[in-house]
Amino acid sequence: MQLGEPHFTQASAVRRSVVEMLHRSGGGHFGGSLSVVDILLVIWRDFLDLEGAQRDRFVLSKGHCVSALYCVMHALGHLEADNLQSLPGHPEYGRPALSDFSTGSLGQGLSASVGMALILRDHGRRAWVVMGDGECQEGQVWEAAMLAARLELGNLIAIVDCNGHQEWGYRPDRSPVRDLPAKWRAFGWEVEEVDGHNAQDLASAVKRLTGPASGRPGVVLATTVKGRGVPLIESDPDRFHCGVLEPDEFAALRWT
Amino acid sequence: MKRIAEYFVDLLVSHAGVDSKLWVLDGDLADSYGATVFAEAFPDRFVMAGIAEQNMISMAAGMASCGARPFVFSFAAFLAYRAADQIRVSMAQSGLPVTLVASHAGGCVGRNGRSHSAIGDIALMASMPGMKIWAPADRHDVLSAFTDARSRNLPVYCRAPREKVGDLRMPPGALRVSSLSGSGEDNITGILLLGSGLSAHWVLELQQTLQSSGIACRAASVARVHPLPDEIVPLVGAADLLVVVEDHVRIGGLADLIAARCGRLPDKWFGWSGYPVAADAAAARKQAGLDAEQMAVAVRQLIGR
Repeated sequence: MQLGEPHFTQASAVRRSVVEMLHRSGGGHFGGSLSVVDILLVIWRDFLDLEGAQRDRFVLSKGHCVSALYCVMHALGHLEADNLQSLPGHPEYGRPALSDFSTGSLGQGLSASVGMALILRDHGRRAWVVMGDGECQEGQVWEAAMLAARLELGNLIAIVDCNGHQEWGYRPDRSPVRDLPAKWRAFGWEVEEVDGHNAQDLASAVKRLTGPASGRPGVVLATTVKGRGVPLIESDPDRFHCGVLEPDEFAALRWT
Repeated sequence: MKRIAEYFVDLLVSHAGVDSKLWVLDGDLADSYGATVFAEAFPDRFVMAGIAEQNMISMAAGMASCGARPFVFSFAAFLAYRAADQIRVSMAQSGLPVTLVASHAGGCVGRNGRSHSAIGDIALMASMPGMKIWAPADRHDVLSAFTDARSRNLPVYCRAPREKVGDLRMPPGALRVSSLSGSGEDNITGILLLGSGLSAHWVLELQQTLQSSGIACRAASVARVHPLPDEIVPLVGAADLLVVVEDHVRIGGLADLIAARCGRLPDKWFGWSGYPVAADAAAARKQAGLDAEQMAVAVRQLIGR
């Protein structure tokens, strides 16, 4: 487990890769890809058990941020650099090999991970899914949440990247996604609320959810900053929900 | 006589004991087609997914990605239409081996009325690359569809009517063709009446009615609607007159799939031109001109007899 400074260094390198990849592609979902980097890095580096045929499964349900997943997979040695630019802009099942489900149409990933957890439970494995907070407007998310609790899928862990923005650019006080902790608790889930850029807090929350089985699925509500690590993008989350960096902007980028 | 979906349940129950990959998911309609039998026999591999079809489809795909072979039951209206996007992304685009058993498909849905009809489901499913479509007419076709679904590692949509059906009086095969009515000859020219699923039974009724008027014709049924079997090309090509009867709307149904495959439009088409009335099957068909008598009159007018 790499927390503190080593994590920061690794996450910063991933963020640079994400921005470079999206810029070379002619633009993309900069904001949400940068907000989810720490979450993906902690899960993939410190928790996913990829050994054996019935390994853990991972679903990136907020599929528009797949560039972050590709760069994390590359940073951890699961993906060759040569492949990065040729991969699809939303996750496709089996492409690359560890891409466990097709997403891109929001709201389907949690359901898929419910099915995975049901099969994996007998094998002592887990299903992991990362969603967006805006995605929680999809009704299917709550269909899945209700069933996961009824099936007592204690081996299902969801992480919601709560960056507080979506394409329309709601003001935070008018967010259509409110009271998420109460909603998830009401649906029968174990809930953890953390700073989604603090690797130590993220890891501790996940450890609590993966501890002695409660029989309940667990969700980490991770508060993040859209565009994290790149001040220009942080300053204009609506433009960079899905946008383009001009060449001069890219050349002058500052990183934090 | 049983519903087509019940025949699927029978096969699942008989195979699940030796095939631990088989699962059944249901959208709270198990009583309507006997999936309760599987639930009682294999409770650990039955998921009552509740009234949440979109979740049920994506969940089944997730199960399939981990090696399971889920069969998903509900009404066609709530699978093909309500969960169309989940079928598109979670199943068709992923290529995952989920089998949908879509009961109460077509226009004969009794007093349930138009909200429960699914008269364009073939069009929807066929428009998604990667989906295979079966429309079994009897238990023999169900066995073919079931065997195909289990042997292929790909998604399948099985269309099952609400009406109970007995054995179709046609020889078995990928394309089931009756002998020329009244003659026993085996040439394939002349009038060809072609249907699938429930409409294969309507085709036999039409054949009998025409025969009673002294008009010889051949009846055929195709259970694998998409992609169509190769055998259909010479059969359709040789017919002097092609009549397609389907439990579906004109656009995107059997006639269109035949046209795409064989390059031939039907000389006469029978099917749903609008939503069916809420009535028993006989009344709904009659109102839509799909009973044997009205169809026979139309065919006789076409050939001038």
